[in-house]
Amino acid sequence: MIKNVLSDIGGIGLYGVISICLFFAVFTGALFLSLRMKQSVADHINSLPLEDGEPVQKGVSHE
Amino acid sequence: MNPNLETFKYDNRIVRAFAIATVIWGLVGFSAGLLIACQLFWPELNLNLQFTTFGRLRPLHTNAVIFAFVGNGMFMGIYYSLQRLCKARMFSDTLSWVNFWGWQAIIVSAAVTLPLGLTSSKEYAELEWPIDIAIAVIWVVFAINLFGTIFKRREKHLYVAVWFYIATAITVAMLHIVNSLAVPAGWFKSYSLYAGVQDALVQWWYAHNAVAFFLTTSYLGLMYYFLPKAANRPVFSYRLSIIHFWALIFIYIWAGPHHLLYTALPDWAQSLGMAFSIMLIAPSWGGMLNGLLTMRGAWDKVREEPMLKFMVVAVTAYGMATLEGPMLSIKSVNALSHYTDWTIAHVHTGALGWNGFLTFSVLYWLYPRLYNTKLYSVKLANWHFWLGLLGMMFYVIPMYWSGITQGLMWKQFTSEGFMQYPNFLETVLQLIPMYKLRAIGGTFYILGACLMAYNLYKTAKAGVFVPEVEVQAPALKTEVAAHDGNDPWHHRWIESKPLVMTGFALIAVLIGGLVEFIPMWIIKENVPTIAAVKPYTPLEVLGRDIYIREGCVGCHSQMIRPFRSETERYGEYSKAGEFVFDHPFLWGSKRTGPDLHRIGGKYPDAWHYNHMDEPQLTSPGSIMPRYPWLLTQKLETNSLPARIGALRKIGVPYPGGFEATAQTNLQAQAAKIVENLKQGAITNAPPDREIIALIAYLQRLGTDIKATNAPPVKTAAN
Repeated sequence: MIKNVLSDIGGIGLYGVISICLFFAVFTGALFLSLRMKQSVADHINSLPLEDGEPVQKGVSHE
Repeated sequence: MNPNLETFKYDNRIVRAFAIATVIWGLVGFSAGLLIACQLFWPELNLNLQFTTFGRLRPLHTNAVIFAFVGNGMFMGIYYSLQRLCKARMFSDTLSWVNFWGWQAIIVSAAVTLPLGLTSSKEYAELEWPIDIAIAVIWVVFAINLFGTIFKRREKHLYVAVWFYIATAITVAMLHIVNSLAVPAGWFKSYSLYAGVQDALVQWWYAHNAVAFFLTTSYLGLMYYFLPKAANRPVFSYRLSIIHFWALIFIYIWAGPHHLLYTALPDWAQSLGMAFSIMLIAPSWGGMLNGLLTMRGAWDKVREEPMLKFMVVAVTAYGMATLEGPMLSIKSVNALSHYTDWTIAHVHTGALGWNGFLTFSVLYWLYPRLYNTKLYSVKLANWHFWLGLLGMMFYVIPMYWSGITQGLMWKQFTSEGFMQYPNFLETVLQLIPMYKLRAIGGTFYILGACLMAYNLYKTAKAGVFVPEVEVQAPALKTEVAAHDGNDPWHHRWIESKPLVMTGFALIAVLIGGLVEFIPMWIIKENVPTIAAVKPYTPLEVLGRDIYIREGCVGCHSQMIRPFRSETERYGEYSKAGEFVFDHPFLWGSKRTGPDLHRIGGKYPDAWHYNHMDEPQLTSPGSIMPRYPWLLTQKLETNSLPARIGALRKIGVPYPGGFEATAQTNLQAQAAKIVENLKQGAITNAPPDREIIALIAYLQRLGTDIKATNAPPVKTAAN
């Protein structure tokens, strides 16, 4: 089926197969790495913008 | 107390400098855009000056908005957030200021050279080679400062925003250097190292990824930092941000050929560009959803915080533009949209919505903090928001209408099989009301930006500038802190190793370019040569350089696509082999005027002479400006040997010593054109004027493949 889909895209030959494989590899690689991450680590890194060591300034709120 | 605790200061001065530059250049860039938008329905607005024609100011507008407004905005956001995410002052204050003043000097030199007509003509890379070198040097300064700060950080892990900054730094350097390779023919003139199809592929690989890595990844980094700050909650999903980052930078780099669908680029490259463009929806929308979902539970703040209003619209505009982009990359959609205002609408959704609104958002957030005060007026900021949004609507909707109208008119045949609108101008005149509405939209947008400038100025006046912020953070431990920190199968391991992260990112962005470039360079069948195609004559070379100087490529394509609607209108479709001596290629990306690839021989020389003097004489209603200076300015021929020598160096087969006879060859061809003009009742045209060279070039265009019937001037060329 994949072969049929790719053959409909004229003249790309092997490039279509290589591209799909690379695309699949990068996506699954990123997925694999992200799923192996511990929730506690993710939470720590996620909070970095909110804990940049700067004292909260008074009076900057618009409320 | 932690014995490792260190006290240090964040540098706010550099952030303020970039912020001020962002506002000033933003107003300049928007105003240049409004001026050229008005010129499209009011051509006299160039005041009959050669320095202010649409062709010369259009690159000034795009460069001002991309590199001056967004460039300064990017540096502003990076210099603020990087210090705080790394818990370190910038690596070197000196480098920070070299970055700032160097970048401003580059912008000023662009603002001077582009109206003077000093341009390479390659879109978003128009600046000539000395400025290109300066850009590379300043970019390296920025990169050293970026990596230097990362290396001396006090936070082990690099937050997702910093990955995007790294990807921006390395990829923009790679794109700029590869695309700018050229051989100089004097201080202000160079010829692209690549020709025709190869030049087109490199150029659009660059231009597409300038959008990706200058306008997108850097701003995604800002989104990942400033949106959580403003919403006061962490980003929705850190895992999603990992997938977003790697998938985006890997896929983006492949998509450049979608700018060249149905052109003479080999079909396999077009198909790759299309396939990867469609894949791009996934990571782009992953990023948009990650941004919008960060707002969960904080939507009430949007009512009160103008900064969040701008941010939410910016992220939504990013989502819209990144859905539309892949749709426009589908060949059958592109067949209609390409060369029309649809593309203009698309890029302005990104520029006005994503980049513009995100920059405004960050400015509104930063100013009160830099000056330790409240924003001067929330009401004015809200007015800015609604004016900006309305301006965007008035811009984008008429451009969609205009693009689709013109695209359909170009393709319309009567029931008898003739073209319904054979006169190109007829399709342009339909668009004038849309162009006027677009100018109203642009005016609203600029008015909003002026309100912001006033608001920020008053905020600064009301507060006291905080040049440095003193903070404390523990020094980074050198030993391995955690068990999984040393395991290469964890993304956390990559994040804690900036060089590894950079290496992987570089590999990711290299793959796409290499897969597309290498076959194009080494497999001969990709650009089949045509024996009848010969190098340009000396006069035509100079004429072509005038065509480049005047920015004709901004409105006229030289690429006839293989559609019946195009071959009926313009003639034989364009073939790859016809462009092998075109350094640079001049295919163009927009048809405000008709395609010119087969213009050679279509009209007599006198028609071109009159047309350049007063376009409305030959084409009543035309929106092309007058070019009377071409009739009076003397053709500069002293640089001819340098130009021929430079072209020979990059592969144009001029015989050795051709420079010696070039002048005679030029004069002979010019004399023939003057004779032709006399037949057209133009008896006073001197042979040494610029118009003669331009006519020679235009009459040559697209005629080589009809070589057997070629007029004598072309045989002289050989």
